[in-house]
Amino acid sequence: MAEFTASVYQNEFLPDGGTDVHAIVTVACTGAGAAGQSGSGDAGEIIIVDTSGSMGADGVRAAAYAAQTALDQILDGVWFAVISGNDRAQLAFPPSPEPVMVKMDQFTRQAAKDAVARFYADGGTAMGTWLRLAARVFATVPSLTQKHAILLTDGENQHETPEVLTATIEAVTGQFQCDCRGVGVAWQVAEVRRIATALLGTVDIIPAPDQLAAEFSKLIRQAMSKGVAAADMRVWAPQGAQVLFVRQVAPNVDDLTSRRTEVNALTGSYPTGSWGDESRDYHVAVRLAAKGIGQEQLAARVQLAIGEQVVAQGLVRALWSSDEGLTTRISPEVAHYTGQTELADAIQEGLAAKAAGDTATATTKLGRAVQLAAQTGNEEATSRLRKVVDIDDQDTGTVRLKRSVEKADEMALDTASTKTTRVKK
Amino acid sequence: MDVAMTSTTRTVCPSCGGPISDADLFCEACGAELAPAALGKPAIDTDTEPTIELNPAAVPDLSEGAAPGPCRSCGGVVGADGYCQTCGTKASKPRDHFSEQPAPWVAAVCDRGIRHSRNEDAVAIAADAEPGSRALLVVCDGVSSSLDSDVASLAAARAAREVLVAGHAQGMGTESSRNAAVVARLTAAADAANDAVLANTSPDSPNPASCTFVATVLEDGLLVAGVVGDSRAYWFPDNAEAVGLTVDDSWAAELIATGVPRHEAETGPQAHAITRWLGKDAPDHTPRTTTLNVSGPGWLLVCSDGLWNYCSEAAPLADLVRQTAAAHGGEPLATSSALVDWANAQGGQDNITVALARL
Repeated sequence: MAEFTASVYQNEFLPDGGTDVHAIVTVACTGAGAAGQSGSGDAGEIIIVDTSGSMGADGVRAAAYAAQTALDQILDGVWFAVISGNDRAQLAFPPSPEPVMVKMDQFTRQAAKDAVARFYADGGTAMGTWLRLAARVFATVPSLTQKHAILLTDGENQHETPEVLTATIEAVTGQFQCDCRGVGVAWQVAEVRRIATALLGTVDIIPAPDQLAAEFSKLIRQAMSKGVAAADMRVWAPQGAQVLFVRQVAPNVDDLTSRRTEVNALTGSYPTGSWGDESRDYHVAVRLAAKGIGQEQLAARVQLAIGEQVVAQGLVRALWSSDEGLTTRISPEVAHYTGQTELADAIQEGLAAKAAGDTATATTKLGRAVQLAAQTGNEEATSRLRKVVDIDDQDTGTVRLKRSVEKADEMALDTASTKTTRVKK
Repeated sequence: MDVAMTSTTRTVCPSCGGPISDADLFCEACGAELAPAALGKPAIDTDTEPTIELNPAAVPDLSEGAAPGPCRSCGGVVGADGYCQTCGTKASKPRDHFSEQPAPWVAAVCDRGIRHSRNEDAVAIAADAEPGSRALLVVCDGVSSSLDSDVASLAAARAAREVLVAGHAQGMGTESSRNAAVVARLTAAADAANDAVLANTSPDSPNPASCTFVATVLEDGLLVAGVVGDSRAYWFPDNAEAVGLTVDDSWAAELIATGVPRHEAETGPQAHAITRWLGKDAPDHTPRTTTLNVSGPGWLLVCSDGLWNYCSEAAPLADLVRQTAAAHGGEPLATSSALVDWANAQGGQDNITVALARL
């Protein structure tokens, strides 16, 4: 049985007239078990592979091999399907004119591998059609409580307008989770990130096709270790208070604020997807009406709920004090993740400005990113930034854009921008 | 607890409530003749000498496990985590804020204040139903530098009340013997309070619990106040000058006695150092008493320094009480509560206790 804990890190002391309370809430899960085996419903997995013409024969062969490797990692008893996508989506396995899924066993595994081996490159790219088909396929198995897909693409979504993709993303949000991977450098990070973020998944670049298989099998192993199908973060704030934002800040930055649905007038619910044995950090900010010196009030109850059951709760407090020694202290956890969030923004805005030819803004933003990465000890970000800018002084954030940059390095910097480092305890 | 039953043992004088032993033929305190024990009559006959009624239901449960009431800020439900489920206000522990109102004309409110983390003040009161007839008000202020003073002060105040409700002093019927009888009961009450403090002090405590003591007994126009420490009693007649009934046992009071202006003495560095208290290391705990014959309407106030710190002189304090009472329709509980709120608004530097009787 999965067990959850919640720990709160904050400076609860507010100065006279202070209104904003920030806290980092660490939620940890142990004993999650394996997907589909916790007795609370079945698990389903769909592998979506780009078979557009741009993939080429070698690309498709690598993708097919990766899909076969992934099939090996899906646990027996898990419902699954394989979709091949170009400017439209086809159910590659099970072979059926209607959407359908089957349970994994030695025979279906081999049949699926055989079907995948027949992939060939043809046509354009319309990812929205792939997502819609995946949603319809998942919907054929009512017993599924955990629905996860991996999506591989290599190119821009050229055969579909951004508006259609947006509408599709909205339509399928909440129906399944999806980790997205781009192979090569011809795909758009921002576009694929939109899909992954809405579907509570991750986005990353796989520079070369021969790295596909390892990545796919890692993603499926992760999915199979998520024994808790779905959990929601609930944030209660007192009457008259305003929840400024709710963000996941580790292992990566993901702003949940706009995903709020109302539990009751004072409590909002934010989907967090499935959980394995892991811990995630959340940054919650609440604005309160200031109270008198010496008074205490609860600023937020931060809970993790599975269905209607609250499995962990952390209390965020506010205590007004006239003692400046207490009120001026900044929680190291809050400071760290505030910096990490700003780092992610600075990298994304800097790269966008660079792509638009705005060198001045790009230099400023990426310089700030270098400074923040150094301050928050994010060495991975620093080494990625080094491939895009020459650093003159990381303390002041003085940088110059490199004249020639590997496209893959720039994309890797972009996709990894939301990855955060933990606070050093 | 059945106070009436407790009072029927032969350990207190039926006349004044003073301590006696079975061998005594006359009470040491008031001189009343004691009926021979052989008669088998209870020492205090509750039929002919009614005690002040102490309704157990009127005494709030202040234990740690007591269920929290509705949120004091918004009236919402308090969650299992100790905070209001609507406004988030931290629910105070029952001990941190409580009130008593044994009769419509007598009430008390005891509050943690703002700056202190515990409420070491305590109050215990009792009254007969008939307005202006009989009431007793006890306030104990735990010394915050000592251990467990919150437990000790509450036990002390309630122990004193138990002694004071037991006897309806008549003495020999004369004015002076009535007074002597009440004084003897106040002394016995201070003894009981002191015993209660000792009973709640760990024998090897490096910093034994201690508290102040002030009690007033009002009986048919006779008002007697007894004090150990710096908690106070005042009488604010509607049509005459306000009177302070107590003199503090404090360093400040000693300065005032030597001619230092009150304001200067009470704001000096040693202002809150008291020279007498109840507790294991107490030098002497016999209350110093003041007697007054009261006639006509007025307010009897018994309070801790959490209130008088912000208004020490009798005259302005009387104005404050009268104005606050006027704003609350003369209702003692609402007025007590408003005076606590007023002290909190001044900074709430200390625990605050206000006990009022309307005569």
